[in-house]
Amino acid sequence: MIKIEKLSKQYGQIQALRDVNITFEKGKVYGIIGENGAGKTTLFRCIAGLEKYDGQITSDFKNLKNHLGFLMTEPFFFSKITGIEYLRLLGNARNIKALNIQENNVFDLPLSQYAATYSTGMKKKLALTAILLQGNAFFILDEPFNGVDIESNILIVEIIRTLKALGKTVLIASHIFSTLAETCDEMHLLKKGELINTVVKEGFGKLEHEMRDVTIGNRIEKLNIT
Amino acid sequence: MKGYFLLQFKMLNRSLTAFGFPPLLAYILLPACFVGLSGYLFSKTEFAEYIFLLLAFALLIKQTGRKRNEFLKSCFTRTDYIKLRLLENFVLMLPFAMYLIFAKAAIFVIPLVVIAVVFVFITNNTTLHFTIPTPFYKKPFEFSVGFRNTFFFFPIAYILTYIAVSEGNFNLGLFSIILVFLVAMSYYSKLEDEYYIWSYGVSSHLFLIEKIKTALGYITVLVLPILITLSIYFTTELTTLFTFLLIAYAYLITVILGKYAVYPNEMNIPQGILIAVSLLFPPILLGIIPYFFFQSKKRLTSLLP
Repeated sequence: MIKIEKLSKQYGQIQALRDVNITFEKGKVYGIIGENGAGKTTLFRCIAGLEKYDGQITSDFKNLKNHLGFLMTEPFFFSKITGIEYLRLLGNARNIKALNIQENNVFDLPLSQYAATYSTGMKKKLALTAILLQGNAFFILDEPFNGVDIESNILIVEIIRTLKALGKTVLIASHIFSTLAETCDEMHLLKKGELINTVVKEGFGKLEHEMRDVTIGNRIEKLNIT
Repeated sequence: MKGYFLLQFKMLNRSLTAFGFPPLLAYILLPACFVGLSGYLFSKTEFAEYIFLLLAFALLIKQTGRKRNEFLKSCFTRTDYIKLRLLENFVLMLPFAMYLIFAKAAIFVIPLVVIAVVFVFITNNTTLHFTIPTPFYKKPFEFSVGFRNTFFFFPIAYILTYIAVSEGNFNLGLFSIILVFLVAMSYYSKLEDEYYIWSYGVSSHLFLIEKIKTALGYITVLVLPILITLSIYFTTELTTLFTFLLIAYAYLITVILGKYAVYPNEMNIPQGILIAVSLLFPPILLGIIPYFFFQSKKRLTSLLP
């Protein structure tokens, strides 16, 4: 479990998060949604301990970060590190002795090639494989479906379901509502750093309609497309 | 084109300022350092001209990056692009050419000019699917990535050792050790993304120890052929050789710790001064290393509590 209480984060004059309170239970999948700049990534970075913050984040573990797999929006790769070396590096980082890399290469990535030469989707898949190999208890997936092909998309959804079945906690930020609706137990809507709505599975349809109405409004008419 | 060079000049000034160097001071000190170091090199070895060519080669190859050149090609006409790249390469080669002429080795300016011209038409395609093998794949990333970028230095160091033995020049042998260590130190010049530190499930103390252990192990692999050769052929110099090696290890540790002591910033002037002072009196390293270690631990605590 991860419990977030009165979490606030400020970058200079910008209030990125304000008094956020959420609890993430074991064995559940959570969607974090909101427009660009709503504070999703900041929330993730605070949970991961990559940012200083006001408030409290507690978990079952003394040191949450050692049990957390963080898939970043744009994973960073050194220019001349191969896929297999990247996986080994992140495995070593968590002291995983026996890595069965080839067998775990479920996305069929060309692991002997430099990771920096991979496409956006392949990079995402490599970074995801790495955090899965680490055997974490918590997963933060920031835009896991970005640039990923349809087959891998299906596979990622299945991986998320498996993680849930194994009692792991998964937090996902994505702009693809249908995939979130398919995988999440709960969705939290962030707006300008504030948690404005929490919806359980039964309310996903209604939430999507509301968001569509608010987002689209009369903007299409304003475009005057001819 | 003029705008491009003005922009380059501004960017260089910004980099110098970010490094903590007032640009004006840098423009006085850098040429002075270049002349000083070149003088030292030419006084120490008869192969200085070849080392010069090698350095120039390494400098020019940096300009051939695919993304950079594709960007330039998209901005300028073909003629302007060629002019611009020629000018860039000649500016970079100018200090080397001037010193070669000064050192009465003008003949070496010809290959310098040739490579400066040839490299205008070469683009280093880093997206090649050929992976350079590395003996350091087990513990990525500094040595595995660094080795792929600089592998060509090692045969040169080994050739220098061979020449040192065949000419009975022990100092040249020591120079080949310096070369290997300098190359390895350069692996720690680049800051890694915080994610690569954050990912470690250990304390900052253990993280640093692990980094040092890996570096010492891998540098030993690289320097071992030189050490064995020099030990066999210069038996009377063993004490000097191993004292020298010990100091080189200490510098490698200093560079690693120096990097993390200011993380996520780059190395700064006070650090540079400390290291420069230690060059005059290496025992100072016994104080610098623990100091950098303590600073590094402090810096990394937020990522590795």
